[in-house]
Amino acid sequence: MNENLALIIEDDEDLSEIFGQALSAAGYEIEIIRDGQSAQDRLKLVEPKVITLDMHIPHIPGDVLLKEIRADKRLVKTRVVVTTADAQMAERVRPMADLVLIKPITFSQLRDLTARLHQSK
Amino acid sequence: MNKLKLGLNRFLEVQSSDPDDARQRRTLNTILAFMGSLGFVASILALALVISGVMPSHDAPAILTASFSLLGGSIIIYLINRYGSGVIAGTLFILLVMFAIFFADTPFELSKGRSVYLFLLPIIISSFLLGSRSTFIFYILSTIELGIVSIIAGGQIYSPIFAYVAFFIVAFISWLSSRSLESALKDLRTTNLNLDNLVEQKTQELATTLSRELILSGRNQAILNSIADGVIVFDENNIAILANPALSQLTELPIHTMVNQDINYFAQNKSLSHIEQGMLSELLENPRKSATGMRINWGNKTLSTSIARVRDTENKYIGTVAVFRDVTHEAELEKMKDTFMGIVSHELRTPLNAILGYAEMFKEGVYGPISEKQQSISTRIMTNTERLLTIVSDLLDQAQIQSGKLKIQMAPCMPIELLDGVHSVMDRIASEKGIDFVTELDPAIPTVVMGDPQRLQQIAVNLANNAVKFTDKGSVCVKISMPDKNNWQIQTIDTGNGIPKEALEYIFESFRQVDEANTREHGGVGLGLSIVKQLTELMKGKVSVESEVGKGSIFTVTLPLIMQGIITQPLKINTQE
Repeated sequence: MNENLALIIEDDEDLSEIFGQALSAAGYEIEIIRDGQSAQDRLKLVEPKVITLDMHIPHIPGDVLLKEIRADKRLVKTRVVVTTADAQMAERVRPMADLVLIKPITFSQLRDLTARLHQSK
Repeated sequence: MNKLKLGLNRFLEVQSSDPDDARQRRTLNTILAFMGSLGFVASILALALVISGVMPSHDAPAILTASFSLLGGSIIIYLINRYGSGVIAGTLFILLVMFAIFFADTPFELSKGRSVYLFLLPIIISSFLLGSRSTFIFYILSTIELGIVSIIAGGQIYSPIFAYVAFFIVAFISWLSSRSLESALKDLRTTNLNLDNLVEQKTQELATTLSRELILSGRNQAILNSIADGVIVFDENNIAILANPALSQLTELPIHTMVNQDINYFAQNKSLSHIEQGMLSELLENPRKSATGMRINWGNKTLSTSIARVRDTENKYIGTVAVFRDVTHEAELEKMKDTFMGIVSHELRTPLNAILGYAEMFKEGVYGPISEKQQSISTRIMTNTERLLTIVSDLLDQAQIQSGKLKIQMAPCMPIELLDGVHSVMDRIASEKGIDFVTELDPAIPTVVMGDPQRLQQIAVNLANNAVKFTDKGSVCVKISMPDKNNWQIQTIDTGNGIPKEALEYIFESFRQVDEANTREHGGVGLGLSIVKQLTELMKGKVSVESEVGKGSIFTVTLPLIMQGIITQPLKINTQE
């Protein structure tokens, strides 16, 4: 497991920047991925500690990706933070996620919450 | 036999507009028929006797004359009676009787002996042939005749004085009985006439009512035909008895194919899905008020249904009426609205989120140190962006609640986490205003309770935000406690402006604020408390407010304490720092 790796799966350029900065500030090594296909490929190679996962991403939808992550034994310790603007979607995926954040998500909110995840081993 | 009776009746009957006249003339005809028959038999007999030579020749002319006079007189009077006047015929007849009496016996016997009673005949006959009053006329005529006979017999005119008196008594009695008969008949006729009038009147009324009903039912049919909603009515045996053209148009079924068929024929239509067929059948058989407005997709149309039992004035079940309204256009609009809301939700929130994030990062010094002025500007950008986000969220929530699309997702949640969340959002805003923001947790409350975490957070933040907004000095406290063992509470206690009594009634209504000056000063669209109330009610809770102007307000959200389902889902995040 990549102890400090955080994958930010988010297609919006600005939000990925903000989430990246927040997770950086929380002490993670960050990697930003803009679409579902790239995320799927990348997840075959790395075992991040935290993933922030947007639901509306190109190629492979976030919820499909979330199911795959949950089915992957390698990623059993990976914490998934779902980030979405869709409250109904949020409720649907809540049982599979470690944390569901509904947009707007602030820099400090994400920083503080993921910092807690970082501390809890 | 019947023909004979009919013929006889026709022979005796006399047409007259006066029923008394007709009756008297019919009676005269009966007597004449009897007399005529008698005269006929007598004439035949006399002729036979004369021809056979049995009768002495000196008696023959008298007997033959009498017999033929009887026959001829009867026929003449009958003809007068039938085609002329009843009074003349009757008078003639009685005069004939009087004439006959004159020769009926010897003058002695007629005036003093066995045949005196014969003079009563004209009096009695006149009473029923010519009416009550004629009895006295014929009494006078009879006494005159008797007087003449008495003189002929060698007596005085006053000799039969007792007969005169007795005749008078008989005349008087005849007059009385005849008169009472007449008046009885008159009464009967009046009664009959009244009855006839009554029958006629009732018939008229019935006809009027019937025609009115006909007009009414015609009018009802016209109304039903011109209604834009589809209507179908089933009787108590679930057979369709009526369907209007609008329904035919909506369902594309001709009216005659729907009427006289049972519920299932209508509900099991191929244009409906299997589930909708089942639902419609079930609803038509057992209408429920709660199902009013249920939508079904009939072919490419969306129909809103309203189905109710029909009861008569005695509350007896007589059938079912179903009304279908075409809401295809509305349904399309709603779908468009939902799509639009989704887009707005995503497209507005995402850039606002970015603005908020950059401003925050700028302020936090992520991009290098900044001056105090720059920091204050960043804060302003954040505050205004948050305000805008709140308005967008409130409007979207309100729209979702109104359309019934907002669903409460019950999940285990920690009150302490809830307070933490509110604190993290409100602390900065409160400190910027220079007021204290505190949270308080009742130790009695379970660590985990059931609720919708996101919506509880929204309620708490909305209330806290409101409290901070209207408090200029002092403090705002968010407190979670247990008032009793079945409920838990979220309270915000502030030392703010307070709310005037008259405003307490409406502050939970949508788009209402206490006064417009406040709106301009504090911003917002007046949805915060309305959303709090609606969300609380969706979670089966209650919201209340106590307030005193100048001292502050306490908003209390009381929710049922539900413990089921808590153990099954372990908490995933350690919130303790």
